[in-house]
Amino acid sequence: MDSQRKPHIEVKDLHIHYGEVPAVRGVSFDVAPGEQLTLLGPSGCGKTTTLRAIAGLEQPTAGEIRIGGAPVYSSASRVNIPAEKRGLSMVFQSYAIWPHMTVFENVAYGLRVRRESKEQIAEKVERALGMVQMGAYAQRGASQLSGGQQQRVALARAFVFQPSVLLFDEPLSNLDAKLRADMRIELRELQHRLGITSVYVTHDLEEALAMSDRIIVMRDGLIAQIGSPFDIYNLPRNAFVADFVGSANLIRGKNRGEPATGDAVALETQAGHIVHGMAHGRPTGTELTFSIRTVHLALSAQKPANERNVWPVRVERSVFQGDFTQTIVKWGEQRLTIRGTMEPLAEGSDAFMSVDPKRVVLLEE
Amino acid sequence: MRLPRVTFSAPAIAGALVAVIAGLLVLYPVAYLLQAALNTGDPEARPPTEYGFENFAGLLNYPQIILNTLTVSVAATVMALVFGFLMAWILTRTNVPARRFFEQAMVVPYYLTPLLGALAWSLLGTPESGFLNQVYRALGGSGYLININSAYGIAWVMALFEGSVAFVMIGAVMKSMDPALEEASQVMGASRWRTMLRVTLPLVLPGVLGAAVFVFAEMLGSFAAALVLGLPDRYYVVTTAIYQLTQQYPPKIPLAAAMGTSLFVVMFVTLFIYRRIITAGSYVTITGKAFRPRVNDVGRLKYALLAVCLFYLACSVVLPLLTLLYASIQNISTAFPSASNFTLTHFRTAFTMNAATTALGNSLWLGLWTATLGVLLMGLISWIIYRSRLPGSSVIEYIVMFPQSVPRLIFAFGMMWAWLIFPIPIYGTLWLLLIAYLTVFLPLGVRTISGVMLQIDKSLEECAQMCGAGWGYRIRTVTVPLLWPGLVAAWLLLFVASIRELGASILLMGPHSKVITPSIVESWFASSTELTAAMALIQTLVVAIAVSILLAVTRRATAHITD
Repeated sequence: MDSQRKPHIEVKDLHIHYGEVPAVRGVSFDVAPGEQLTLLGPSGCGKTTTLRAIAGLEQPTAGEIRIGGAPVYSSASRVNIPAEKRGLSMVFQSYAIWPHMTVFENVAYGLRVRRESKEQIAEKVERALGMVQMGAYAQRGASQLSGGQQQRVALARAFVFQPSVLLFDEPLSNLDAKLRADMRIELRELQHRLGITSVYVTHDLEEALAMSDRIIVMRDGLIAQIGSPFDIYNLPRNAFVADFVGSANLIRGKNRGEPATGDAVALETQAGHIVHGMAHGRPTGTELTFSIRTVHLALSAQKPANERNVWPVRVERSVFQGDFTQTIVKWGEQRLTIRGTMEPLAEGSDAFMSVDPKRVVLLEE
Repeated sequence: MRLPRVTFSAPAIAGALVAVIAGLLVLYPVAYLLQAALNTGDPEARPPTEYGFENFAGLLNYPQIILNTLTVSVAATVMALVFGFLMAWILTRTNVPARRFFEQAMVVPYYLTPLLGALAWSLLGTPESGFLNQVYRALGGSGYLININSAYGIAWVMALFEGSVAFVMIGAVMKSMDPALEEASQVMGASRWRTMLRVTLPLVLPGVLGAAVFVFAEMLGSFAAALVLGLPDRYYVVTTAIYQLTQQYPPKIPLAAAMGTSLFVVMFVTLFIYRRIITAGSYVTITGKAFRPRVNDVGRLKYALLAVCLFYLACSVVLPLLTLLYASIQNISTAFPSASNFTLTHFRTAFTMNAATTALGNSLWLGLWTATLGVLLMGLISWIIYRSRLPGSSVIEYIVMFPQSVPRLIFAFGMMWAWLIFPIPIYGTLWLLLIAYLTVFLPLGVRTISGVMLQIDKSLEECAQMCGAGWGYRIRTVTVPLLWPGLVAAWLLLFVASIRELGASILLMGPHSKVITPSIVESWFASSTELTAAMALIQTLVVAIAVSILLAVTRRATAHITD
């Protein structure tokens, strides 16, 4: 990412209401040229509304949106450029393939609007369909396509007229799991080849991690965290992100305030366990909360050699789930979830739980 | 409080224009209706010199009319519900033979109209000359078997035709009920009767109640049957009384206006209750999903149920049509055929008589223009209400649906009063009828078009917008092609509705702007029964042709969608 270049999309203090109900309550972020940004969050968090406001399909209540430096919406200077004049493009959740047109006509639509010549339209549509491996289907009626094929046509239609920005509204959510995994990779490759700035909305964590340069996690119309996929997963800022992005155990306790090296921090739980973790530069108070990913906790029958972060626990339930085994253990008064590739342990047996202090992340509450 | 930003885009301008047109069409006549109702000064003075509520107090001098209206409406509602419920239950829940055929045949009474039914049943059931009574006397009876000119006679005819509306409403509820709900009850060990009483009935009840209230409101405002069957014996219900008060000399306009206003208030409240019932009381049955209803094997009973179906269709369709046909090919209509009495003169007359051909021509002209302009206007209105997200679109919806709760006769009354003093001399011309039709059919057209529009995924239009297409281009290349079956259906429905319109036309047509349905009524009272029968059949034929095209088009459209 070239930090010298100006951001391609700027969203400033965006507010959107549906009647009296606020959907977005003050969201600001930038998207760099060529960057792939993902808005991630549960349904109703305002991610789709934000995307549609950038597109021009939803009218914000207040704030400003700039594309390529020029405002397309601004409540202060009363600018609201209609969607068709913003020069963006979008892939819809329902694909929105026009059933009364052939595949060719669907893809040619944006070029026809721009009054390109017949030869140019034919050439560009052919190239676009080739890129999504749908070249052989140009003359098919749109209603004869499978879901995955419709998805590809929708994609070709969206980028064929070289828009400055591509917007994706949960484009893979209607596909079955296997096809979704394939399309994820294809989409990412295509995005790299086109080098186009894009904003992607999804509620699927894996999709967000795999497809983005940066992720914005949203909750209740606000931004919960912005960061790289690595940071979002490994350094969640708060309990919501920790829990939404994968599964995590939260551990609360009093700050031990031990003088420690670097970023190290420790707390004491109500049950008297001492847990060591990393502050990552975050402010520490008297009450602390740690987040530990379920896959980072280890479980063994013998006591491991670690000095810190080793505790005896009792196995309550251990269930084999294919890719991993999920074990619930009782640790003092608290129940924790552990996922690993170990074989299931007998219920009621005693075991030792351990975790690397680097994997114990302090949350900003 | 946020203020809606004013942007002068094409849809915003079109929206404002359409809102103003719809508002003018609907509210202008209503305002004049109210003005006339509150006029307590000189009835001829315009604008009125004094206002007051005396006209409403004056209504109490006519208790008989209120009583008649209630008697006819309640009796007709009960009968229509019995027909509707029985037919809905038989055709959705039992294994009666030829169910598919009956289900499709059930819409026919709706297209035949109460007027045609009233004419035919008048031929069949007047005490003196009714065919059925003639046969009854020939078989040795004395006096008469049935008297169609009574309150129950009027209610009977109204119920036959409103029965198909009740059937459609109750049938929809029965079809949308998940059969698993009943199966669950039986799995828990409940008997069939217990299931029926504790599960089926409570689930269906809100729908039936809703249908009852809706049908009752329709009955309050119905006009044709009461006019044809009630007038000979001076039996007036509120709509015919209003008609009489405006047509007599001197007319009692303020009183008629007060009557009309009261009726429309009562209907408005009734339809409000109806809406509350269907939104609040529908439980889980209305999921929008159509289930395959569980069909009960009723054994031998199915032949009795078949007889019920045949009886209903015979009374509402076959018998009326045959009666009119039989009467129209006789010199003097009588129950007993004789070779010398048969003739085709009446059809020849109907096709050559100036009054009849002009009226038919006018009706066709009006039908074509109402349908064409209506589809344009109502298509635009539907788009603005359901797609534009323009501020105030819900207000437009409210205004546009308003004529639904005003009987067309009352609306025409307000219009007559409004346009009489309109600076452009439009009164007594076909233009006034065209305006009237476009107004009273607003709900019909908007409901038909928006029904299809709501099935079209919104993102299909949004995607065109994201591809850079402007409003006009989008509408032309995406919205209209996808909406086409709905537009064609709306066109034909508006055409049919115009051709058979009576309530508004009878007040608004002038000597130089005759249309077919009121002409049929005039001919019934003024000239020969046989000629009237011929005219009614010709009108029915025109409607039948349009309806067949409609069915063919909608069938092809649905086939296309399910492909």
